[in-house]
Amino acid sequence: MFHWLEKNPFFFAVTVFVVIAFAGLVEILPNFAQASRPIVGAKPYSTLELTGRWVYIKNNCNGCHSQLIRPFKSETDRYGHYSTSGEYAYDRPFLWGSKRTGPDLMRVGNYRTTDWHETHMKDPAAVVPGSIMPAYTWLFKNTADIDTAYAEQLTIQKFFAVPYNKELPMADGSKVTVALADTLEGARASALEEAKVVAADMKDQAVKDAVAAGQVPEIVALIAYLNRLK
Amino acid sequence: MNKTVLAAIIVTIAMLGFTYAAVEMAGGLDKFLKDGDWVNMLAIAGAVVLVIITTFVVTKYVRQMQNDTASGNLAEESWDGIGEYKNEPPFGWAVAYLGLIVWAIWYFLAGYPVNSYSQIGEYNQYVAAHDTKFNEQHKNMDDETLKEMGESIFIVQCAPCHGLQADGMNGQAADLNTRISEASVKHVLIKGSNSNLLGTSMPMPDRNGLLNTATNALITDAEIDAVSKYVANGLKADDAAGAAVFAGTCAACHGADGKGMEMVAPNIAQMSPAMVDMVLNHGKKGAIGAMPAFTNLTEVQHKAVNAYVASLSQK
Repeated sequence: MFHWLEKNPFFFAVTVFVVIAFAGLVEILPNFAQASRPIVGAKPYSTLELTGRWVYIKNNCNGCHSQLIRPFKSETDRYGHYSTSGEYAYDRPFLWGSKRTGPDLMRVGNYRTTDWHETHMKDPAAVVPGSIMPAYTWLFKNTADIDTAYAEQLTIQKFFAVPYNKELPMADGSKVTVALADTLEGARASALEEAKVVAADMKDQAVKDAVAAGQVPEIVALIAYLNRLK
Repeated sequence: MNKTVLAAIIVTIAMLGFTYAAVEMAGGLDKFLKDGDWVNMLAIAGAVVLVIITTFVVTKYVRQMQNDTASGNLAEESWDGIGEYKNEPPFGWAVAYLGLIVWAIWYFLAGYPVNSYSQIGEYNQYVAAHDTKFNEQHKNMDDETLKEMGESIFIVQCAPCHGLQADGMNGQAADLNTRISEASVKHVLIKGSNSNLLGTSMPMPDRNGLLNTATNALITDAEIDAVSKYVANGLKADDAAGAAVFAGTCAACHGADGKGMEMVAPNIAQMSPAMVDMVLNHGKKGAIGAMPAFTNLTEVQHKAVNAYVASLSQK
């Protein structure tokens, strides 16, 4: 049979494809399993959170911080429940990371608060003695890119059927709707509303003033994103 | 004598010589023997064996390449003059290969699915076994051990905000070395509180509900300042102004000594383990900001943290 294949390049190519496709199926099929569907409690990112997510990516936070808690006691003791596949359903791209120079951030919203992040981003060593994380002071000055995040929201809603404006069941039995504005102005306004909630817990006067004046500094978007990692 | 064998002997002698030199530099064989240093002895033995085996194997294959001639039937195909023998595969290899295929089919269809190994299952078993052992080991802890455990948990879970000294790191979080700060008392007096430190939903009114029975009027700014200082300093009797406001306004619920009343008002003179427990379970939002709930600790760990934190302000 192998001699025959070696003499027939077309069928040889087909066989190669079948063999490799089988390996592909073994990798791909599990992703269609129920376990990989959005779990109860997963919800898409709001406009400000998605903006913050891109601030996170832009500053390469995922270079040092993972978002993947493995099922080992040492990890679940420190970071909380191990990660499950369905939790990443609305992550595009996922931010599992490959290396932990800093701690995992999968559920950082459960045990850190807005003002902690604020102090930490200005001077990490002030709250974590011996920390080697650099200060991210420019986040307090740069204005976040709400418009691009909104464009992404519209795109994923249309092409990936991400359930914005739909009732989603939560783990405690309640229902949550993540709103997506109809217009760009509406999206900017709703992001600003979210930003005001975050800024209320912050201490930096320049950031508070900026939010009051209708601007959203990157730090506010980033904290909104970190706070929702639960 | 064959050149290859000669080269092998020279290389072996040279390498054994290097080994001998290395041993001498490290103090000599006698020293190792005297110290009874088995790790070094094993390392030396390993080095000698390695040298001999390596040269033997290399020599064998070099000679084989020099002397062997291929034999057997050639296959029909010829690729640019390069042919292929149709020899039988070695018997042992063939058996191992077929055995592996049979095993793979068994593993794929029965071995893996029927054993139904799961990483999560292994994790659950491990945690259950650990918890059982942990609870057994720490069933009857004395206060000292409890606080020690509490301290180590504190360093991991609480210190990122409250600081290693539990001083709140310049207002980042509550200073746990005192019951309550002046700013917090003021905040609660002005805005009221529903922190539920008792586990009941009995809120404390804001300043519009705080009557000073001594003056029969709502509490004033000056009185708030005075009583805040008084409470933050630990209700010391020498602060007459604060004590008077406290007696007139706060004592009705919090008790004359500030130690609170069950189901009515929390202890504001001292921390208690029960109070710490409430905050850990439900989180807290006050003058400084929000503290999230910490529900991932086990029962014993909770108890330990409660005991440790409560002990900080009672030194």
